[in-house]
Amino acid sequence: MQTALQLIVTALQIGSIYILFSLGLTLIFGVMKIVNFAHGQFFTLSALLVAALVPWFAAHGYGVTLAYLFAAGIGVVTSVLLGMLIYQFGFRFFQRDLAGSFILSTGLVLLLEGAFLHYFGGAVRTVPPLVSGNVNIFGVNLTSQRLLLGLVAIMATGAMYWVLSATRFGKAMRAVSIDHEAAMLQGIPYKRLAFQGFAVATFLGAVAGALLAPISVITPVLGSDYLVKGFIAVIIGGLGSVPGAIIGSLFIAMIESIGGFYFDPSVANLAIFVLVMVVLLVKPNGLLGSR
Amino acid sequence: MFKKRRIYKLCASAALVACAGAMPATAQEIIKLGLSIPLSGAAANWGKGSEWLCNEAAREIAQEGGIKVKGKVYNYSCVAYDNKYNAAEGTRVAQALLNRDGIKFIGGSLGTAPVKALQSLSEREGVLHMTTAWGSSIKGPKFPLTFTIMNTPNEITVPLIGYIKEVNPGIRTVALLNPNDASGQETEVVARKAWAAVGVNVLSSDWYDRGTTEFQPIASKIAATKADVVDLGGTPPSDSGLVFKELQAIGWKGVKVVEVGTGAEGVIAAGGNAADGVYMGAAVVFEGAQVTDKQRKLNEGGKAAIGESLNAVQLGFYDSVKALKAAMELAQSVEPKAVAAALPNVKFNSFYGPSGFGGKDTYGSVQQILVPVIVTQIKSGKLTEVRRIESAEMKARK
Repeated sequence: MQTALQLIVTALQIGSIYILFSLGLTLIFGVMKIVNFAHGQFFTLSALLVAALVPWFAAHGYGVTLAYLFAAGIGVVTSVLLGMLIYQFGFRFFQRDLAGSFILSTGLVLLLEGAFLHYFGGAVRTVPPLVSGNVNIFGVNLTSQRLLLGLVAIMATGAMYWVLSATRFGKAMRAVSIDHEAAMLQGIPYKRLAFQGFAVATFLGAVAGALLAPISVITPVLGSDYLVKGFIAVIIGGLGSVPGAIIGSLFIAMIESIGGFYFDPSVANLAIFVLVMVVLLVKPNGLLGSR
Repeated sequence: MFKKRRIYKLCASAALVACAGAMPATAQEIIKLGLSIPLSGAAANWGKGSEWLCNEAAREIAQEGGIKVKGKVYNYSCVAYDNKYNAAEGTRVAQALLNRDGIKFIGGSLGTAPVKALQSLSEREGVLHMTTAWGSSIKGPKFPLTFTIMNTPNEITVPLIGYIKEVNPGIRTVALLNPNDASGQETEVVARKAWAAVGVNVLSSDWYDRGTTEFQPIASKIAATKADVVDLGGTPPSDSGLVFKELQAIGWKGVKVVEVGTGAEGVIAAGGNAADGVYMGAAVVFEGAQVTDKQRKLNEGGKAAIGESLNAVQLGFYDSVKALKAAMELAQSVEPKAVAAALPNVKFNSFYGPSGFGGKDTYGSVQQILVPVIVTQIKSGKLTEVRRIESAEMKARK
């Protein structure tokens, strides 16, 4: 029982970051009908800036928590600005163009990864712990830091879900994702919404990067590893579906957690790919995807 | 008018060509050393450090007057291509180095999978191939032109595990974890044998894919075995740090080993205080009385170039260039086969001190650099040397 509980808590922790990451991917697909393979690079930039700026702020007399908050703010804002810039000069011209956006985003991955390697160097970076110690809940051990950041990620996901389901902006975005022409006929400004949707998606990726920074090691290629998992999550859940992205992310986290424990991480990874194939065979549009 | 100019130009060109032919035999010539290394992706820093060390060794040799062969003076120039640490790119790099650039000497290559791709071409085309790849499958009489320029699990494991058992006599069980690739698989085989030889029972042996970002599940599994020792074999430093951090969070306490661990900085950065006590077999210490000025300066230069301390893999590229110089001068030839024939007999100053090549008993032919195994341990966040085990073959030659 204790082992099962430990595995579930582990899956929830891992899954909370995957959810934030994949929500961004699915949002972009929902609004613009493109897959942004460079999404991981916004996530990486935010994490890299946090890892680079926390020691800098700490060296200038700020406490670690305050330094982290400043660094996370700068990281997220910089990533969103970069995202907006890339949208204006790139993705704006490739809306609803899967092949064109694929080529553009793949090129951006190479460009941004090279730039990160050049400016941040290849050495691994870490962020000093914000809170120390472990907590034990019903016999389940986890670090206080992971618990805190997991809770923040879950709250951010909840807030995003509320925005999409209850606000005018969210409803407009959902309308566009269902039928953008009909939405435009109803007076919804599609172009502006696509731009805002891209910025929100980038924001989610950047927040995930900033939250991950204190519990992982940061390298210029970190985003590529998460992109694969995030992409699989939205494929399983259904491209463009917000609840689907959440379910897909939790599925992957569960397989990683349980498969990694009873077999090994390599087998768990294999199982994830097998799962995608099965889902695509049985439900080609994903578990909650619409035709 | 134009015709006249053309004739003058032709005459001038002919005169230049004639002069070049008559230049003295002491004119310097450049020998290109090809490098197949990762310059992007997670292992980019290993590649960048390797290229920097190759250039540094070439610069030192040039400063000392170059390589003197039959009255001619040669110098080295390092040509690096990105193998992205995978076999497919390794094949592309092999084609570019050997068939396009016509390179006859590989100054260094990194990563067992891309190295195997390069070796399949280098042996066939008579190119001398120096490598840091650990795999024992790339050595032997079948591959007479391949030489390994750093300690591999075969050299490291037995003395390292022997030392660990000696200072921790109570250990009875071990759990192994390795990356699921050629390097990890070959390390695991050697480690299993070495632990069994000192009477330590292998409870579990797991694999993970490079690029894994979450190690909590595997840490839970390893902790559940209640092993006395966790040996992360060929796991890269930052991944090792993360595994130890997760093990500490779960409450596991025991002896921590990264057999072919090359860099302590990554383990400490990722693991924090969970990295304390970790034993490593391929890390290099750059602090303390035993470190020479030259070693310290080299590390400072490397650190400025790549942002972290140099490691044993990268240092192999420095030693490779020095070994090639010694072999060319001994053979008095710049033909790859003649140089390869001379390598088993060379004595040269490597980064670690006087070195040569050996390993006939293990691999069937002399293809392995002989440098000491440095057993290190992380103590209070610092890497310290706990024992230096000289190569028995090198000792016998002294």
